[in-house]
Amino acid sequence: MILWTPMQLELVFEGLEKMSDTGYRHVCHRGVHMLVEKNSDGGARVARLLSTDPRDYLKAEYVPGNMLEC
Amino acid sequence: MPEYRSYDEEPGVFPYSPDIDPEPSVEPDYPHNPGEDPHHPGDDNPRNPRRVHGKARGGVESIKEFGATQLPEVKSNIHCITIVGQVEGHLVLPPQNKTTKYEHVIPQLVAIEQANEIEGMLVILNTVGGDVEAGLAIAEMITSLSKPTVSIVLGGGHSIGVPIAVATDYSFIADTASMTIHPIRLNGLVIGVPQTYEYLDKMQDRVVNFVTSHARISSAVFRELMFRTGDLARDIGTVLIGKDAVEKGLIDEVGGVSQAVARLKQMIDEKKGKGVPLQ
Repeated sequence: MILWTPMQLELVFEGLEKMSDTGYRHVCHRGVHMLVEKNSDGGARVARLLSTDPRDYLKAEYVPGNMLEC
Repeated sequence: MPEYRSYDEEPGVFPYSPDIDPEPSVEPDYPHNPGEDPHHPGDDNPRNPRRVHGKARGGVESIKEFGATQLPEVKSNIHCITIVGQVEGHLVLPPQNKTTKYEHVIPQLVAIEQANEIEGMLVILNTVGGDVEAGLAIAEMITSLSKPTVSIVLGGGHSIGVPIAVATDYSFIADTASMTIHPIRLNGLVIGVPQTYEYLDKMQDRVVNFVTSHARISSAVFRELMFRTGDLARDIGTVLIGKDAVEKGLIDEVGGVSQAVARLKQMIDEKKGKGVPLQ
């Protein structure tokens, strides 16, 4: 792999050795793909939408930080 | 049909014919006229209308309960792909990096190509570069889409962002956005593969060939920008801001989202016009 970036490599690779799970899960909620953060009581909080449809980003339920209803 | 005189005659055999209704007392809930065509009931004997139970989803309930109105389900005919942070390829980067993952973007591009309701694609870039192979793969996928594509560089489109930006049919750059062009080998990272100078040079040629075949810029000018000394503090290379990128022939036009969407709509209309045979 060759990384081509103007960023300092020390900054990019900081913590590579002791890297752990990011805590994000990739889920598909009613046809919309997104990354969610699972919390201890089983709820899922929207972290980042992965949809390409710009209208999905206008839906109030998919605002990052919102808890998903199952 | 055999007749059964007594239930005891053939023990264990259920004596009823399946042709007989098991419960003759149960009436069907509307009169059944056997001679009538069920699809065209006569005027003198109309079929009893039956009330369908159930309720519409959302609607009045959601206004009453939550004070929210239901947005109509409309799908956009223009979809957008955002390339943000580092372009991540074969190696998962530590979590402080915001990354655009190759395995997310490639299936999205396939879906955009396949879906009939999607007519055009907007690529929005604000990236600091990343994996050369993953970036080139995304750029090649964008180039090979049959639908009109427009890119817009907002903020930054550095390093591997350059081939992704020029891969679309038409490209825009915001007035203040910047693109850094610098040699690959200066911070090429060696993981597992013994990378020689020649190997890095070949990787660089792949990028230069891609950019020069998809933008107006010539190979000589692009390499000159790449190896220019004195422009960057800790590296050799060039930073192009807004209209500089257009003047060098890398990007087609300075503009924002409104110009990019207008251009995309125009290209969609042109494509539709070509598809319809003229009378």
